[in-house]
Amino acid sequence: MPSAARAFTRRDSLLFVVSLVLSLVALGLPPHLRQPVAAALRRSVLAPLVSLQRSAELTHEAWRTREQRQEARDSVALRAMRFTDVENENAHLRRLLGLGRQLQWGFVPAEVMRAPGGAEPYAITLSAGANAGIAPYSPIVAPNGLVGMVRTVDPSMSIGIMFAHPDFRASAMSEDGSAFGIVAAHQGSDPERFLLELRGVPVRNSLAPGTLIVTSGLGGVYPRGIPLGTVLGELKTAEVWERTYLLRPTVTPVDLSSVMVLLPRRVTAGVAPVWATGRGVDSAVRSIVHAGDSLARAAVAERPPESGVERAAVPVPVTRDTARHDAPSRTPAVRPPADSGRRDTTRRETARRDTTRREAPHDTARRDTTRRDTTRRDTTRSASARPDSARLGSSQPTGARRDSGGAATTVPHDSLTASTRDSIPSRLP
Amino acid sequence: MRGWDTVRLAFVFVLLLVLHFTIRPLLGWRVEPDFLIIGVLLVAIRVRPGTAALVGFVTGLMVDSLALEHFGAVALATSIVAFSASWLKAVFFADDVVLNAFFFFLGKWALDILLVLIAHRALGGDAVMQVLVWSPLAAMMTALAGLAAIVILRPVLSRSVT
Repeated sequence: MPSAARAFTRRDSLLFVVSLVLSLVALGLPPHLRQPVAAALRRSVLAPLVSLQRSAELTHEAWRTREQRQEARDSVALRAMRFTDVENENAHLRRLLGLGRQLQWGFVPAEVMRAPGGAEPYAITLSAGANAGIAPYSPIVAPNGLVGMVRTVDPSMSIGIMFAHPDFRASAMSEDGSAFGIVAAHQGSDPERFLLELRGVPVRNSLAPGTLIVTSGLGGVYPRGIPLGTVLGELKTAEVWERTYLLRPTVTPVDLSSVMVLLPRRVTAGVAPVWATGRGVDSAVRSIVHAGDSLARAAVAERPPESGVERAAVPVPVTRDTARHDAPSRTPAVRPPADSGRRDTTRRETARRDTTRREAPHDTARRDTTRRDTTRRDTTRSASARPDSARLGSSQPTGARRDSGGAATTVPHDSLTASTRDSIPSRLP
Repeated sequence: MRGWDTVRLAFVFVLLLVLHFTIRPLLGWRVEPDFLIIGVLLVAIRVRPGTAALVGFVTGLMVDSLALEHFGAVALATSIVAFSASWLKAVFFADDVVLNAFFFFLGKWALDILLVLIAHRALGGDAVMQVLVWSPLAAMMTALAGLAAIVILRPVLSRSVT
């Protein structure tokens, strides 16, 4: 076998042995002899290779840095997107708080658990039910206006329909009360699907684009004064004795995440001052934003109870007598301070009050110079109902503290004595 | 081996040497191909065993000069591996791509085992893990890289076969 013979020639064996011996010698070299040899190799043969290795490592580092920066950029972008969502949600919740502050009692806050767009796009599931006091046909409202009404109520949840539902109907009127009609879903093609129609407006009543349409309170389902939409224009129909107007709803369906459900007693009492011009909610939102600031909150905590925030929390009672109806508070809903009489009567009174206020010239003058909520409070509340009046009788400061509505109060209801509650007179109608 | 073949073989060896110092740092993997052993083995199976041992020794000494301790350990291990590879190639007369890859695998694994034994690069359980897990993985990666090198450099190496 010639190759095998070649493999075992003496020269090969000698070279192999030399390599082994040299390697063993290198292994046994003391450090002061080893280092010069290694350094000589590094500075001569290996210098270009080490330089190449350094360049490669720099390239690898640059690549890794680029990836890390890309990841950081992506995460920052993702965080920014989330921040926008959180900001929007925060603004929405603040507006909802503003609405709650304006309503003060007789409502249940609820989360919309299933957003529109599912199998039944115009129905919404709410996270509150009969345990919270919700009843069928309770109006669902948002800071901007009417959302819909509750149809089915379970103990812990309820299902409602939105204004875009084909079954939705609401008796409506223009803000100045000059025209009445029925608001229903437009049911147009996709881009116009969420628009509304104001039907049955008499021919003699013409509405200009931009006119605000609110609930009229007729029919007993929706209280008067909840915004429904603004007039976009008149629709041409075959009817010659009535007009139909196309409305843009005040509530955007995609923004529905948290809503308020009005309880029956609140519906009876009316909500007209809350959305009177929309400025009431806005001013309450501004006060909440202001109170949300930590410095402002600290300053408020140090001030006496009649500070702005607490004054905003003072309820606007609608009682006609001092007889209190302390319903067992089995629900988190904010209860009215007193029971009223028949629904029809109360609603009529509420409507009358609104009309009177709207026509009063001095009220209009004040609206230009002061906040609407302040004006309304001053004009409708009796002297004793104002925060200042609480100092007359006892150290218990305000009427808000005697109110059973715990959500807007600053002192628990049970901390007030019966005498204190009785000493606070009822407000003017 | 003719002179022109020697030049081409030297070119391939230098190329693999450069790849060893550029590709490995660029990849930064836990298991890396050893282009140095590929180069040594490619040379070893084309030269006489004594020459292969000498090439292994020089190459190993270069690597040793970059280490702080155990100067000569890599040289010793590479000499043994190169001589063995050249002797096995001479005995079995095989010139097959798969067999070459197997050579690379065995050569890299043997080199790592020798380094663990000579230079004590790992001790105890780490040594077992190195020998039985990481070294075979690195050897496999080296075999794959060597296979790719043979396929790519076939036009250069084909006439170098003795």
